[in-house]
Amino acid sequence: MAAKINKLKVKNSLAFAMFILLLFGCSEKFEVIDDLSSTKFSLVDQTNSAREFPKLTKGKLTVVGYIFTNCPDICPLTTNNMRMIQEKVREAKIKNVEFVSISFDPLQDKPETLRKFTEVRNLDLSNWTFLTGEKPVVDSLMNRIGILAVVSDSTVFKDGRKIYYYTHTDRIQLMDEDGKIRKNYKGSEINVDEILNDIKSLD
Amino acid sequence: MKKIVLILFMAGIVFGQTTKKSTISVNDPWLRPAAQGANSAFFFQLVNDGDKPDTLVAVKFAHSEVVELHETFKKENDMMGMRAVKNVAVPAKSSVMFKPRDLHIMLIGLTKDVKIGESYDLKLVLKKAGEIKTKAVVRDMPKMK
Repeated sequence: MAAKINKLKVKNSLAFAMFILLLFGCSEKFEVIDDLSSTKFSLVDQTNSAREFPKLTKGKLTVVGYIFTNCPDICPLTTNNMRMIQEKVREAKIKNVEFVSISFDPLQDKPETLRKFTEVRNLDLSNWTFLTGEKPVVDSLMNRIGILAVVSDSTVFKDGRKIYYYTHTDRIQLMDEDGKIRKNYKGSEINVDEILNDIKSLD
Repeated sequence: MKKIVLILFMAGIVFGQTTKKSTISVNDPWLRPAAQGANSAFFFQLVNDGDKPDTLVAVKFAHSEVVELHETFKKENDMMGMRAVKNVAVPAKSSVMFKPRDLHIMLIGLTKDVKIGESYDLKLVLKKAGEIKTKAVVRDMPKMK
């Protein structure tokens, strides 16, 4: 009898330990990396309408990507990965998710540039917004969330025009309903199933 | 008789030249979509079946102001960048992949929209093999393997 009780105690202890592990494991996975809930960045979207970040997606989970449109490799990969996440979210019938792509190159990426960038890729903008803005505002946002973008290379055209390219942080972030950044991913090589599971966990 | 021999000899030279097979070939060429004025990237596998190495020195594209050979590189803290390279060596009996997050051809300052589903002619210029023509399709991603 005593042996049975001891066995039961061990079982209960194990179950309790598992519960604690699971509880702390989950919260650790989604610790708050940065709380943007009290911040306000006045930006414009691809239609040149004024938008406030992160307020524009308050109450929804948000997948945020960081790009510049002259980027030939990493940023198109990040954008395409966001498109694939959007498709997976739709297939999973999760409705509480928004997508935001923010340019860290506001001098070259005007709203019209962003609009063309979305059109040529046939992107679904029903829950996806592209943002740019005044350089000081964009710089302060990037500085706040830890996105580095350093001009590294350039091309000069025959007529003297010059475009430049950045060495930059390769990043997609998952932001919760309250504007808190909960997880960082490599934008160009994100595991789409991983972020989908994270979205389901936070939803 | 002499004339006939000469004609046959000349025909042999011409025929030989036109049927000489290049040892360089291009597999799975594709471009990224991009709007007029923006930049695209061109990806492919460059195969050298010959016994001698060759070098890719340029690419010609009719719908961009500039074409450059580039490579993407990683830095610390998830930083990514890219830089121009002068040329790309293709060793004998070998191949080089131009692929996302790696070597690519930058098509800078497009003179028209390059849209998904379209296809475009490009020419690769190699030191020994000369110009190699190819046709690339426009798509978002490499083919899934």
